Amino acid sequence: MIKIKSIEKYYSAGSLKTYVLRDISLDVREGEFISIMGPSGSGKSTILHILGMLDTPTAGEYYFFDEAVHNMKGKKLSELHKSYIGFVFQQYHLIDELTVYENLETPLLYQKIKGDERRGKVAEILDRFNIVAKKDLFPNQLSGGQQQLVAIARAIIANPKLILADEPTGNLHSEQGREIMDLLKKLNKQGTTIIQVTHSDEFAQYGSRIIKLKDGWIES
Amino acid sequence: MLKNYLKTEWRNLKKNKVYSFINIGGLAIGMTVAMIIGLWVWDELSFDKFHKNYDHIAQVWQFVKFDVEKSSYNSLPIPLAAELRNKYPEFKEVSVTTYNRNVVLTSGDKKLSRTGMYTESDFPKMMTPKMIFGTYSGLAGIHSIMISESLAKALFASESPIDKIIRLDNKADVKVTGVYKDFPGNSSFKDVFFLASWQLFTSMDGYAKFASDQWDENSFQIFAQLKEGIDVKKTSAKIKDIRMKMNYPPPYKPEFFLHPMNRWHLYGDFKNGVNIGGLIKLVRLFGFAGIFILLLACINFMNLSTARSEKRAREVGIRKTLGSARSQLIRQFFSESLLVSCIALLLCLIIAELLLPFFNNIADKNMVILWTNPFFWLIAIAFCLLAGLIAGSYPALYLSSFQPVKVLKGSFKAGRFAALPRKVLLVFQFSISVALIIGTIVVFRQIYYAKDRSIGYDYNGLIEMSMNTPDLHKHYDAIRTDLLNTGVVAEVSESRGSIVFDYGGTTGISWKGKSPDMYPLLMSNEITFDYGKTIGWKILEGRDFSKKFATDSAAMILNQSAMQLMGFKNPLNEIVRYGGKDYRIIGIVDNMIKGSPFEAVKPSFFTINYSAANVINIKLSSQTATGIALNKIEDVFKKYNPASPFEYKFVDEQYAAKFDHEERIGRLAGFFAILAILISCLGLFGLTSFVAEQRTKEIGIRKVLGANVLNVWQLLSKEFLLLVFISLLVASPVAWYFMNGWLENYEYRIELSLWIFGVAAFSVLLITLLTVSFHTIKAATANPVKSLRYE
Repeated sequence: MIKIKSIEKYYSAGSLKTYVLRDISLDVREGEFISIMGPSGSGKSTILHILGMLDTPTAGEYYFFDEAVHNMKGKKLSELHKSYIGFVFQQYHLIDELTVYENLETPLLYQKIKGDERRGKVAEILDRFNIVAKKDLFPNQLSGGQQQLVAIARAIIANPKLILADEPTGNLHSEQGREIMDLLKKLNKQGTTIIQVTHSDEFAQYGSRIIKLKDGWIES
Repeated sequence: MLKNYLKTEWRNLKKNKVYSFINIGGLAIGMTVAMIIGLWVWDELSFDKFHKNYDHIAQVWQFVKFDVEKSSYNSLPIPLAAELRNKYPEFKEVSVTTYNRNVVLTSGDKKLSRTGMYTESDFPKMMTPKMIFGTYSGLAGIHSIMISESLAKALFASESPIDKIIRLDNKADVKVTGVYKDFPGNSSFKDVFFLASWQLFTSMDGYAKFASDQWDENSFQIFAQLKEGIDVKKTSAKIKDIRMKMNYPPPYKPEFFLHPMNRWHLYGDFKNGVNIGGLIKLVRLFGFAGIFILLLACINFMNLSTARSEKRAREVGIRKTLGSARSQLIRQFFSESLLVSCIALLLCLIIAELLLPFFNNIADKNMVILWTNPFFWLIAIAFCLLAGLIAGSYPALYLSSFQPVKVLKGSFKAGRFAALPRKVLLVFQFSISVALIIGTIVVFRQIYYAKDRSIGYDYNGLIEMSMNTPDLHKHYDAIRTDLLNTGVVAEVSESRGSIVFDYGGTTGISWKGKSPDMYPLLMSNEITFDYGKTIGWKILEGRDFSKKFATDSAAMILNQSAMQLMGFKNPLNEIVRYGGKDYRIIGIVDNMIKGSPFEAVKPSFFTINYSAANVINIKLSSQTATGIALNKIEDVFKKYNPASPFEYKFVDEQYAAKFDHEERIGRLAGFFAILAILISCLGLFGLTSFVAEQRTKEIGIRKVLGANVLNVWQLLSKEFLLLVFISLLVASPVAWYFMNGWLENYEYRIELSLWIFGVAAFSVLLITLLTVSFHTIKAATANPVKSLRYE
């Protein structure tokens, strides 16, 4: 599904190059659940952003379903990104001014899905995540765990093939964290490929594979 | 999708009330100003368009050369009308007319005085008033009159005015042959309440009868309608030398020309034989002011939106990760700004409706919002869209460029130059405000300067009445005695024309030492004994006219500038030849302002002439209250002149009216300056609140390190003061340039002194400090522990 070859990411300041990622190569098969671990500044988030097409590598090759992402530009890239990838963040990143329902609806709007189908999908996911009662609340009326729940619901509403989660449990206490991880595991079992970044050894174990990063290199 | 965008923005607006208020309120005020100015410009541009033959009507004017420069007059000789009609096939209609003059109209017990014109019979057909009764041929008979609807109502109430008899100036009876709807307020003929026959006029008025075949008696107006497809300029060239080709061409070298109706109102000024515009300059100036003020409001919107960008950045990031393309975000921000501008438009319509009466008052207009005019809505909506697009352009392009990775990781900080456009816009905004303040101060200084000028006589308690009917003139001596006997009148005299205006001038005057090829124009004033005492003029040399000297019927008094023009060292007893008669100079009086208070006083002379008098001047004695005095005077006039209504004018009020135009400009400029400053301050207020918020952490740290309130206040205010200071540097030379140009319109004018700029600078700096301080002091006094904990 994903193949990256010798990805590098560095910032140049004059003649000085500051490396974030060095010579990263990785294969991800469909249906995998990968946990990326490593200390602060090791480049975990950067890999995630590159995989999510939010950031571009300085060098190297990136194939997504055999398409060469590193040669793609603007529209095509955004097309690929919005139809295949869902994001989950540590800070949830819901839109404060929109209700739960409207937040869930937003990605569908960007995919130009028609009204009836859209309403059906939102209703279905509200039901599936058991948050129907909360659909008219604003994010600041929800607890952290509930917000993350909505954020995950929003990430998967358009049926992405890949979910990228950047420390999804980082702001939650352990009980809530566990619930979120169970949910991700369930989604994985239903066929969604998941790549998460985490600090927690416990939650890393949910993955089928753990990749450890240090100073921009893959340790194992 | 659009719903999603608008919902976000609507909730945003509700959440940030101050921000929304500044944004929408500011934009609404800007739009209101633009709309009011737009209505005003519309009104000015549509002037005279009421007349159906708008594109073919012209008034005949002439350039004359009295000395060095050509001056322009619309006063013309009567025979020119017939000449144009008979010998020039280019003209469809020609009519000689009087000026719009005050006439007493009597019908039964009703007596009114109204202004109107005596015209030849083709005049109504040319000017196309809207007829209620009768036709355009109503002036065919000599004893006929066409009256306006309002005059008909005033004279006959609900009775039918047709065929009713009206007596004019107690001299002639005329029959009403037509009633027309009053000319609209934006017509040059708005104060023409009746049209009467020219033949009747020449039969009643001795001078007009005499002037009927005189080519050098320039005292009448001529209007003409050109045939379809005839060029005004070419025709002007053809009629130019009519007089000069005749026998005995006059020394002032008249050149006739046509001034087309579509230029009367806006292009009324001539200088040395060239049209130099006129009101159009003001229309353009305020047109620009309107656009600039709207721009100010749009700038506020841009500034506040981008200042808010750090808050909005997260939303941009999220939307991008959810699959939004940049173009969709651009669309989102534009639809947001359009939402704001639409709300602002609604608000603007309300404010405009409330503000229009006030504005009409200062602009002396009668404008209304054109609710039913589709063109108005088209422009209003176009403006709304334009404002939305301008206001939304910068945030749309700027905010949509954020990279999601950066903003979502919380590492987003606007770059060092992110605030630069904001600063440039702020400088632009304040430059306009400063320029408007300087402009307002200059206009008012100029007005007060001219008002402060010594007028050469005393207008306090001075009233004048025009003698339309023959009764007053016949009984003048008895009236004068009776008035003085009332005890409320200090002095009475007669004159030809009002003291507030120059009545007419002559070039037919010569004196010892006059250079033979110069024909300067001297203003002639025909007065009676006691005139000087009545108006309180100042004799500088020699003596006043006096009944004690039988020879004073051939005596002349000069004003100072006439004395200077003639170049006499010892003017007394010099002989001046005028109208075929020798006059001896017996005195010199101080210059009296009869023309424009912004111009030098014209050389003038005074002679005694009882038969020409048409105005009575009365000086009230200062002991009696004005109301009581007027009652007693009215009794005297009723006795001798029952045919005329008792009407009088205070000279001081008439003199004050000379400043109307300038005061209107001043008030308009002031009005716009205040709104511009208001809008700018709203923007500044919003901006400081953001800056203070942005720097909360920095302020907290500084306070922990020992900074006091004053230090923090300085830190935050300094930057804004610097920007305002730059605005002063930008605005001052621009304002200097424009105001200097404006002042050059006036002969008698102030110098642009430095203090004017100083005052403007000081007031803007003060306003800035006050605006900025509200937030800076709040930020400076906040508890640092709190602000640091939030981070």
